[in-house]
Amino acid sequence: MTSSSLLVADDLAFAFAGRRVLDAVSLALSGGEIVALLGPNGAGKSTLIRLLCGRLRPETGTVRLEGHDPAESASARRRIGLVPQRIALYPHLTVRENLDVFARLAGLAGADSAEAVGRILATCDLHDVADARCSTLSGGWQRRTNIACGVVHGPELLILDEPTVGIDLPARRAIEQLLTRLAGDGMAVLMTSHDLDELGRICDRAAFLDAGQLVAEGRPETLIRQRFGEQREWSIELADWPDDALCRKLATLGLQPEDAEAPLRWRGLAEALDLDALDALPAVEWRVRRPGLEALWRDLFGRTPEADDA
Amino acid sequence: MNRPRTSTGVLPMIATVCRVMALALLRDRGAMLMIFALPPLMFFVFAEVFSGTDGDSLQLRVQVQDRVGSPTTGALAEAMVADPSLAAALLPADAPDPRRDVTTGEVDALVVIRTEPAADLGADLDAPPPIVVVSDAARGLAGPVVAARVQRLVQREFTHLGVARAAALIDALAGPYTVEQQEYLGIALEELAGEPLNDGGGASQDGLVAQETLNGVDPDRGGISYYAGAVAILFLLFSAMQGAISMIDERTSGIVDRLVATPGGYPTVVGGKALFLVGQGVVQVTLIFAFAGVFYGINWLDRFGPWLLTAVLAAATAAGLALLTASLCSSRQQAQTASSFVVLILSAIGGSMVPRFMMPEWLRELGWITPNAWAIEAWQGLLWRDASLVELAPAWIVLAAAAAIMIGLSLVRAGRQAA
Repeated sequence: MTSSSLLVADDLAFAFAGRRVLDAVSLALSGGEIVALLGPNGAGKSTLIRLLCGRLRPETGTVRLEGHDPAESASARRRIGLVPQRIALYPHLTVRENLDVFARLAGLAGADSAEAVGRILATCDLHDVADARCSTLSGGWQRRTNIACGVVHGPELLILDEPTVGIDLPARRAIEQLLTRLAGDGMAVLMTSHDLDELGRICDRAAFLDAGQLVAEGRPETLIRQRFGEQREWSIELADWPDDALCRKLATLGLQPEDAEAPLRWRGLAEALDLDALDALPAVEWRVRRPGLEALWRDLFGRTPEADDA
Repeated sequence: MNRPRTSTGVLPMIATVCRVMALALLRDRGAMLMIFALPPLMFFVFAEVFSGTDGDSLQLRVQVQDRVGSPTTGALAEAMVADPSLAAALLPADAPDPRRDVTTGEVDALVVIRTEPAADLGADLDAPPPIVVVSDAARGLAGPVVAARVQRLVQREFTHLGVARAAALIDALAGPYTVEQQEYLGIALEELAGEPLNDGGGASQDGLVAQETLNGVDPDRGGISYYAGAVAILFLLFSAMQGAISMIDERTSGIVDRLVATPGGYPTVVGGKALFLVGQGVVQVTLIFAFAGVFYGINWLDRFGPWLLTAVLAAATAAGLALLTASLCSSRQQAQTASSFVVLILSAIGGSMVPRFMMPEWLRELGWITPNAWAIEAWQGLLWRDASLVELAPAWIVLAAAAAIMIGLSLVRAGRQAA
C-alpha cells in the first residue's frame, strides 16, 4: 500500500451468521494497475468485493477510496464501476441504449451521457453493434458490452467478476486487450477469473485469498519466483494405463498423477529431469514450462482451480 | 479516462427507469396487447353478459306446440310466434318428443298448449293449467322468464281468458252467480275477447303491484359501470404484476449488483418502477372507461377529477402489491405463480368476477380486505350513485394507505436485497 493508492482496504474483518468470512485482509490498488483476486470457492472474494463497493460495512477495518468510505459516500460509489459475472444488461435494449441507461443511472446528465456513450463505443470497439439489441448479440459481444456498461460513467476503479467466462478464445483475447487499454488510460482494475493463463498475461499483481485470509499477494513473477525458484513444471501424458512398476518409476522422478483415479497425466516440479529417462517412458508427450499462476494456485490450495473457484 | 461528474439527482434516474420499462413494453407486442387491448375486450364481454342477465333483455330460444288445434289455442300459438320477447318457433302438434330439445339445450324453453283454456265460467279449476312451460334445471332462469312473458302476453292479448278463470274462481268461492250476473259476465267476456285490455305495462293485471327502478331508466347501465371498475382493477393488478417481475430479472441478471453502485441505489430504481406502473395503470384504466363511455354511455368525464384520483390510487395500490410480491419472490417462475394466485383470489373475493351483492354476507365482509372492493366501491359511488367527495373519502384513504405501505415495504426490501 502506497500513499498514492486509489483504493485502500485496511485490516478488514467480516462475519456472517456467526461464521468469519474475512479476517485481517488488507489490499491497495493504484490507478493503472490490474490486480487479480484469486482463491477457491468460499474463500471470501465476493464478500471482499461487496465491502470494497460499499454494499457491506466491515466489522473492523476501513475501506477508503481516496479518503472516502464507499459505504457512506454516494460520490465515492460513483467512482467505482462494477461488472457482474452474469450478463447484466437489458436484453430488449440496444447496446447504445444500455450504455445510455447505465450512464444516466450513474448520474450523468443528458449531454454528458451522450458524449460518454460515444467515447465508450469507440474505446470498446462496439460501433458495429451499437444499434443491435443485446438479446441478439453473441456471447463475446455481450461480455464486451457488459464491461462497457461498467465503465461508461468514467469510474476510476473497475471491479470485474469473471469477465470472460463462457466465451471463445478470440473474444477472450479482445477483452484482455480492452482491460489492458482501460488500465493504460489510468483505471485501476480488480478482477476475478478462473482463467489463470489470462490473468498471468495481463495482471500486475495477484492476491490469493483462502478461508477469509490473504495468503499471498504481489507481482505474479515475484510470487512464482519466491515459491518455485529455478524449478520448472514437468508434465507427461501416458499412452496407456500405467502398471505399478511404471507408477513407482514416475514417482521416483518426482511426478504425481493429476488425477489419482485416472493416472494418465503426471506432473511435477523440478529444476531438471533426466531427459533420457523421460524419453524411455511410454509417453504420448512430455512438456516442460515455467510455473505460472495455476501452478501457484495448486501449490497454495492443493488442487486444480475450477470455473466456480475463480 | 473521463472523470465522474456531479450527480444529477434521483429524478433523472427515475425518468431513466421509466424509459427502460416503456421500451420494454413497446417492444413486447404480447405485453402491449395484454395491457391495453385485452382489458377493454374483457370489459366488453362482461358488459354484454351483464346487460343480458335481466328478464326483459334475455335472448331465449323458445318453441311452442299447440296440441289442441282450436281457434283460441291457434291464436295463442301465433301470438307467441309474433311476440318479440318470445319469438317462439312453432312446432307441429305431432312433433315427436319435443322435450328432448330442451334437455339437449337446443332450445331454452318449450311452451305446450295442452288443453283448451276456458273462455267462460265453465273452467275446471281442479284441472291442470292449459299452458305449461317446460325448461331444464341447468338453465334455471329460462323457465320463470318465459313463463312470465307468456303470462304477460296472455294478459295483454287474451285478457278474457284470465278474467274468465278469475270469475270461475269467484263463482266457486262466493257463488253461484245469478242468471243476470252470468249474462253480464258473458257479454263482458265476449267484449274482452274482441278488445283486450292491452295495458302492456309493468303493472299486474289487478293493479296492485307495480315496479319502480331507481337510478335512471336503464338498469343495465349500473351493471356496466360496475364492471368497468371491476375489470379495471383486475387488469391493473395483472399488468402491474407483469411489470414488477422485471425486478426479479434484474436481480438474477446482476443488474441490481451494477445499480447498487449508483448514487440513488436500487431503491430509487424500484421507486421509478412504481411510478411507471402507476402511469401505465392510469392509461390502461382510461382506455377501459373511454370504451365504456363510447359504447355504453357511461359518463365518466363528468366528474373527471375524482375519477382520476381513484384511477391513480387504484393503480398505485396495484403497483405496490405487485412490487411487494416480486420483492418477496426469488425466481421469475415463483413470482408468476404467486402473482396469479394473489390476483385471482383478490379479484374473486373483491368482486371483479362476480358482483359482491351476489355473495354471502361473510364473503362480502371479507371482500373489504381487497383493493378490488375499494376501487370498485369508489368508481361505482362516483359514476352510479353520484356520491359526494366525503362519501368517497374512505375508499380513497384505504387505497392510498395500502399503496403507501406496500410501496414502502418494497423499497425497504429493495435496499436489503441490494446489500
